[in-house]
Amino acid sequence: MTGTDQLSAVFSALADPTRRAIIAELATRDATVTELTAPLAISMPAVSRHLKVLERAALISRSQSGKWRASHLEAAPLREAADWIERYRRFWDTSLTRLDAHLAALQAAEPATERPADDPRERA
Amino acid sequence: MTTGTPQLVISRVFDAPRELVYRAFTDPDHLASWWGPIGNTLPRDEIEFDVRPGGYQRWTEVNPAEPDLRVRVHVDLTDVTDGELLDGVMHVGGRLQKGVEPFATRLRVEFHDEAGGRTRLEIRQWLPERLAPHSAEGWRQAFTKLTAALTNVQVPYRKA
Repeated sequence: MTGTDQLSAVFSALADPTRRAIIAELATRDATVTELTAPLAISMPAVSRHLKVLERAALISRSQSGKWRASHLEAAPLREAADWIERYRRFWDTSLTRLDAHLAALQAAEPATERPADDPRERA
Repeated sequence: MTTGTPQLVISRVFDAPRELVYRAFTDPDHLASWWGPIGNTLPRDEIEFDVRPGGYQRWTEVNPAEPDLRVRVHVDLTDVTDGELLDGVMHVGGRLQKGVEPFATRLRVEFHDEAGGRTRLEIRQWLPERLAPHSAEGWRQAFTKLTAALTNVQVPYRKA
């Protein structure tokens, strides 16, 4: 699976409120299907289907311990998704810092730059 | 996705008059001196601006460290108010970094007066819909909740 496909799978998985609720719960502890079903107004098979989607997106892993099968949150793909958005923020932060410096240089070079007058007499 | 809640919202105040900050975005010489990651250059003869509603801004980004890459940026301006607003769709193409596909993103930049002759810049960006095979609403919620989830803010578990 390429990086882009992985990201698509992650964002698709996250596009459902029930699956996000499951992720939020798994962020606090590992849980079985029964434990995950209890707070939701849906059936166990429905929760199982959601878990399959999350597993395909590598957002969770499932372990067998005795007769209990617990789901475990995998943080890495979630981090990759956040990083994808963060790239844009970093771009703007870097650019705007340079814009700040550029504006300061411009104003230093042109001290005559007019500032808007705050004098009420200037208002028509 | 070009409407609805933007995924990225950035607000920043500059100690410069609004007119000047607007010019930094709309004058080719000015934009070339601050736009993009450090190391990038914008060849002056490849910058072409026609700033008006229905107009465009075009330029090429080159990084001397990777001369093979020539990123072409083409903004179709849909809404322009002189000194106040630039709104449009930014297309990023050309020869991009390996693994990065061309994409489009709606970008809205507002210029607001602040006290003391300063200017507040409001940037809003709607990230590519190509990665969102599902509904816009689900996509919007995903981003909102993702941010909350990653900062360990508890998302209400019980459905309403």
